[in-house]
Amino acid sequence: MKTDDLIDSLTADLPAAPPRSIEMRAVQWLTLGAGLAVLIFGLFLGFRPALAAALGDPVVAAKTVLPLALAIPALISCLRLAHPGADPSRARYAMWLPPVIAATLGIGAYLVTRPALRWDLFIGSSIDICGRAIVALALPMLVGLLIALRRGAPMHPTRCGALAGLAAGAFAAALYSLFCTEDSPMFYAVWYSLAIGSVGAIGALLGRKQLRW
Amino acid sequence: MSDDRDSRWADLLRRANKGDPVAYGLFLRDITPVIRGIVDRRARALPHEGEDIVQTILLAVHSKRATWRDGDPVAPWLFAIVRYKCVDAWRRRPPHVDTPVEDLADVLVDPGPGDVTAARDLDRLIEGLDPRSATILRAVGVEGASARVTGQRLNMSEGAVRVAFHRALARLRRTVAGPQNTDEDPPGRRHDSTADDGGTRRE
Repeated sequence: MKTDDLIDSLTADLPAAPPRSIEMRAVQWLTLGAGLAVLIFGLFLGFRPALAAALGDPVVAAKTVLPLALAIPALISCLRLAHPGADPSRARYAMWLPPVIAATLGIGAYLVTRPALRWDLFIGSSIDICGRAIVALALPMLVGLLIALRRGAPMHPTRCGALAGLAAGAFAAALYSLFCTEDSPMFYAVWYSLAIGSVGAIGALLGRKQLRW
Repeated sequence: MSDDRDSRWADLLRRANKGDPVAYGLFLRDITPVIRGIVDRRARALPHEGEDIVQTILLAVHSKRATWRDGDPVAPWLFAIVRYKCVDAWRRRPPHVDTPVEDLADVLVDPGPGDVTAARDLDRLIEGLDPRSATILRAVGVEGASARVTGQRLNMSEGAVRVAFHRALARLRRTVAGPQNTDEDPPGRRHDSTADDGGTRRE
């Protein structure tokens, strides 16, 4: 086919309506995924007893706030990566803050906890459910995000997928924290981070294949 | 590169994204030569595919046109797409096939020591040239001396020796090929395709 003919057919193919932005699609698909996650949460997990009272304690509230503080800049950075040639978002610097605070809280909790209790608080009693639940809650959001990102054009599909995974994993951890009764940062700083990181790895693997264009 | 060009592109692409086909056609026709220039430079290792890559890039621009953020310059966006697609084309190129020659030992014909009369024939052909061309051709072509050394011997510049050498070669080739085959490939040049060999073979 001659290039001129191709240009003619592309021009004829132009829809009259402006295309929806990647950001708009991402919000729509992420909302759909989050709806599914909330459904899973309601069916299998549910709110912890005395949730409002527990969230009054800043160390407990951090369990919910820190993942959110990671999820939002991760989402912004990942959407920016879907635009070829765009400068990386400054939000990527903000992503480092929650892990640093979590590590600080975890170390602080280790220091103020009596040695006899440390192991029990670190392992907790819900470790077998924690990781799996966060991944399960994250998957619908991750899939939704990836569907939206396929309309984008990331120069680095793996990196973009990893950030989508971090965002989905962190949103899922924030949701899961409303069920979880392990309130020691020694527990959540480690196991939540591991779960979020796993979803990031899943996102990187999926993005590597699925976000090529 | 120029702000002028970029603001024109931005204006056209903005109108195109709102559904203006005329602006869109202008935009695509405007960027095509620029894309072609980059592809020619980047994909030299992939000859015959240049225009295919240009068309692939135009298709990518078409399907990803919503990823340009109004307000951003168009050129970095476009060049990122071009770069991505060039790398992609390079990755997708057909794999280079290597066949060990030992496996074909039974199939390939042993070329033998070559045509023993060839050297004598060449000598006779060179005799037919004027003396200076013959000397240069013997020195550079047969003995393998450098153009500089030969030039010093004949009191000529290096460039003049090269020119004389190539003219002498061309004359030899014409003598060998006869008048109707003057555009024959020079001897020793690799043939990429042997499929149409029958058409160009000499009687």
